[in-house]
Amino acid sequence: MTQHTAEVGAVAPASAPWSIRMRDVSVRYPNGVVALKSISMDIEPGEMVSVVGLSGSGKSSLIRTINGLVPITSGQLTVGGHSLAEAKGRELRRLRGEVGMIFQGFNLAGRTSVLNNVLVGRLAHTPTWRTLLGLHTAADKQIAFDALERVGILAKAWDRASSLSGGQQQRVAIARALSQEPHLVLADEPVASLDPPTAHAVMRDLRRINTELGITVLTNLHLVDLAREYGTRLIGLRAGEVVYDGSVDDATDAVFEEIYGRSIRAEDVLDR
Amino acid sequence: MSAVAPPRPSRTRTRLVASVVCVVVVVAFWSVDINWARLGNLPSEIVRYLWLMFSAPDWSKLGEALYQTWRSVEMAWVGTVFGIIIATPLSFLAAKGFGPPPVQAALRGVFAVIRAVPEIIIAIIILSVTGLTPLTGALALAVGGIGTLGKWGFESIDGVPRGPIEAVRAAGGSTSQVLRWGVWPSASPEFLSFWLYRFEINVRASAVLGLIGVGGIGDMLTSYTQYRQWGVVGMLLIVVVIVTIALDAISGAIRRRITEGAPVHDLER
Amino acid sequence: MTVPEPAFALAPERKKAASATPPPRPAGRWKPWLAFGVIAVITAVTLSPQVGIAFSFDAIVRNWQNGAAKIVQLLQPDWSFFPRTIPPMLETLEMAVIATAVSTVIALPLSLWAARLTNPNWVGRGLVRVILNVVRAVPELLYAAILVAMVGVGALPGILALVLFNVGIIVKLVSEAIESNDAGPLEAGRAAGGTQAQINRAVALPDVWPSFVNQVLYVLELNVRSGTVLGLVGAGGIGLLIDAVRTYFRYDQLSVIILEVLVVVILLELVSSAIRKRLV
Repeated sequence: MTQHTAEVGAVAPASAPWSIRMRDVSVRYPNGVVALKSISMDIEPGEMVSVVGLSGSGKSSLIRTINGLVPITSGQLTVGGHSLAEAKGRELRRLRGEVGMIFQGFNLAGRTSVLNNVLVGRLAHTPTWRTLLGLHTAADKQIAFDALERVGILAKAWDRASSLSGGQQQRVAIARALSQEPHLVLADEPVASLDPPTAHAVMRDLRRINTELGITVLTNLHLVDLAREYGTRLIGLRAGEVVYDGSVDDATDAVFEEIYGRSIRAEDVLDR
Repeated sequence: MSAVAPPRPSRTRTRLVASVVCVVVVVAFWSVDINWARLGNLPSEIVRYLWLMFSAPDWSKLGEALYQTWRSVEMAWVGTVFGIIIATPLSFLAAKGFGPPPVQAALRGVFAVIRAVPEIIIAIIILSVTGLTPLTGALALAVGGIGTLGKWGFESIDGVPRGPIEAVRAAGGSTSQVLRWGVWPSASPEFLSFWLYRFEINVRASAVLGLIGVGGIGDMLTSYTQYRQWGVVGMLLIVVVIVTIALDAISGAIRRRITEGAPVHDLER
Repeated sequence: MTVPEPAFALAPERKKAASATPPPRPAGRWKPWLAFGVIAVITAVTLSPQVGIAFSFDAIVRNWQNGAAKIVQLLQPDWSFFPRTIPPMLETLEMAVIATAVSTVIALPLSLWAARLTNPNWVGRGLVRVILNVVRAVPELLYAAILVAMVGVGALPGILALVLFNVGIIVKLVSEAIESNDAGPLEAGRAAGGTQAQINRAVALPDVWPSFVNQVLYVLELNVRSGTVLGLVGAGGIGLLIDAVRTYFRYDQLSVIILEVLVVVILLELVSSAIRKRLV
């Protein structure tokens, strides 16, 4: 695995990237569904990891568990040295504030401006009264503008989020995550709602976050070629269990077939 | 890295609207004739009166209260039925493609005018003919109902898919047959639903009509408020709340069954 | 409609189809007739002279002379009365604006409080909903009648009654609008580490804003309409005048007031529907 991220990270004024350590982590939902079964893994600071699996394999639960949106039922999970099982309330919010998250459906507030959406990334660093009055500090706004410039849509800062195309909306969502000045970025199927060229552009943005800022990036994907092209490490999930964990270079078609439990089909690749 | 923000678009219009709204509100507060000093001890007064009303509701008048409630509900019911009987044919005439255009426009205007006049004013006009009886209340609700039922009715008919209507016309159907077989099957769930909704409105309005003396629970409530028998007023309020919520729940359940449920064909006729 | 009889003659094999036994009718055809019967019975009871409303044509015929005179009067508005109606009409408008403004301020946080997406705490949510359901069950005029006895006649009890009713309506409709919105953006706010209050302000509020403004406009219309009659119980506005002219049976003056109410209400409706078109 090439560790080019370390020295670039040192150049960029980013905060130190975070690791993820999981020991026998299980997640069972209140309705009885077991999403994750005793998962153990270590993700080192600055890695670019692709998590692959079919829908229902638990990859979405995995990513939501890492920033505490889904509570773990048993096991130990430390993110950047902080234990997530014990974190509650203010502590949990502070932790989430350090972890950027990107969603399949972009999850923007459509009726407000792009800038306001990016400023959502500053919530954990803003006193509640300031948010309630809508008084953003100049420093926060500058962080938001910088994040928008990094994903190349600064010019749209004052547009309504809903007026943007899907690819642009996902970039706003990335800018929102970047404005958190995160130590770790989680992306849950970030390109599943996008057309192929846009999907590549968004994946390149995520890779740049990893290489230029040195941030640890964990991306859920179901497309074989994207996982190969943009990750350095591959984790395969099936039915809530890790069935593959290794370098992307070693992940042959046979490995993917093992992860998916069936042969690879046309729908599993983006560029066919 | 320090990105230079693009210039913020002009917000003159937003600011203008906001300042107009602010000015209107400030002018209203400034010009209204209220002794604001009285507002200071209002919270303690309200707590005191709530205590007077609800610490010991006077249940001895419950029998009369229930009788008056029945009279109010009767008014609401008769008002709804009369309203439906008058408004439904009118709404057909006011719908696109059924009545002659001038009649259409005139009826739509009448509906709008009726909707603008509160039921209680309609009752004041009607009572010159019928006197201070529950019938006046029922008729006022019926007339008021024409405004809303008529409007909802023609909007609903306008929204009916044209296909079935053309099919009946093509088969040589007369206008009344078109209405019965082309319009009614698609429009009836909506009609039934807003008839019930109008009944819910009428239940509330009938309580209000009591204020001008046509009888019912509103009449009783104002009387005992004037006698300042707060225990009775408290009891009456409890009755009004329970009856209204119960009738809303029943009517709401039927409406949900009509609009969502499979048994639409049961109620089609 | 007549059945095209010759078709059968021309196609004898169809005769067989025509005499086919139809499948049994689905059960439950009697239900609409039952519903109709129940409605008819209730209507008959409510109209019966013993327990009901006593629909009597006699009384109407007896009063007709009197009533006709009143209606003739109604059709001849006394325009000299018009200047006297302006100050109370303005008071009605002032009351409507103040009540709308006050209830907007109260209803905004309560709406967020009453929706599941913006308030995960079901105890607080349930409490707000129950209280507001009770508040909504009583019409504003009854509140006004009671409040007049509490705080004395004038615009104040009228405004208070309107506020009570408005808050009930706005919170119900807006919290329903919040529930129908997408939960995704709120999840993004949570993932970014915001408190519920911050998420509500930064994410939920912008998305629900148009529907909130819509309901506020609707409530303003309602307030002008019901503000015209609050005076009947002494709660200020043009209703005081309505009460006065009806006591003296001055129907020529009443018609001036009614026309004025009509014009104001319809004008307001036009303005607010123009504003609504601009909301997206």
